[in-house]
Amino acid sequence: MALWFLRGLRRGVVTTGYPARSDDSAARLPTPPAFRPAALDRSTADRLVAVCPSLALRREADVLVFDVGACTACGRCQDAVPGAAAPSGEFELAATSRAHLVKRIPLLREAGT
Amino acid sequence: MTDGDPALSSQQDQPGVPPPASGSEPGPELAAGRQLSERIARQFGRSLHIRTLDTGSCAACEQEIRLLAAPHYDLNRLGFFFTPAPRHADLLMVTGPMVRAFDVAARKTYEAMPGPKIVVATGACALGGVYQPDAFVHGSVAEILSVDVWIPGCPPSPLTLLQGLLVAVDRLAEKVGGLSFAADETQEAAQ
Repeated sequence: MALWFLRGLRRGVVTTGYPARSDDSAARLPTPPAFRPAALDRSTADRLVAVCPSLALRREADVLVFDVGACTACGRCQDAVPGAAAPSGEFELAATSRAHLVKRIPLLREAGT
Repeated sequence: MTDGDPALSSQQDQPGVPPPASGSEPGPELAAGRQLSERIARQFGRSLHIRTLDTGSCAACEQEIRLLAAPHYDLNRLGFFFTPAPRHADLLMVTGPMVRAFDVAARKTYEAMPGPKIVVATGACALGGVYQPDAFVHGSVAEILSVDVWIPGCPPSPLTLLQGLLVAVDRLAEKVGGLSFAADETQEAAQ
């Protein structure tokens, strides 16, 4: 019987908190990409949008709209435009509002460079 | 910069100053609302029963949800339990893109749950990512049920699900709202 169970009985606390230390396995999870605004212009953004199989990306003028909720972390955007996207490493992604999951990423690369 | 400093310090001083008398007395409905939300948090904070609802998912989400009960994650120690009956459930965990054939069953399950109840949309399909609305699917759980917490992932890992459940019962703050998902510029300059 775990010690915390006896401690809990004595203190009247029936549950434990969220894992006190981080879980090593989290580093190996597939995670949604983080994009590099400096590597993105309209044409590269359009390539990313075209390659996304789960409709998580769309382009609005000079902004790449990334819907984290729709992302399946497949990694195709990382292959399509090398250097534009890398795994973000974020896995604690629960949101209390759908709008919190929609990220707007500016396209900062100058055209023709 | 010199202009900005006094403004900043005056803002920082404000929390230390006791609020005016009119502001310290909330209206009766505000106090009642706060009492109610505290009671709900206290009830849900002790023990919470989860009913899962598969609305056409590929079962990857179900695999991860089942893993929550494994010794490594052990959601029982956090006060969460799975229940087969919606009448015993506080939280509805919905996976899949909401196939239209499931409309009646989904509504009946939701209505059978006693209040207060929480709906958690789980996985990219449920959040409206993978499937567009068509003749067979609604494409998102939000089309049918009012969703309280959204858990992305394809499938969401058990760690993600645990965090989502704790966010749903207000035991953990949401994190993703503050993330930009744009890589840091200074890192990029260093490379």
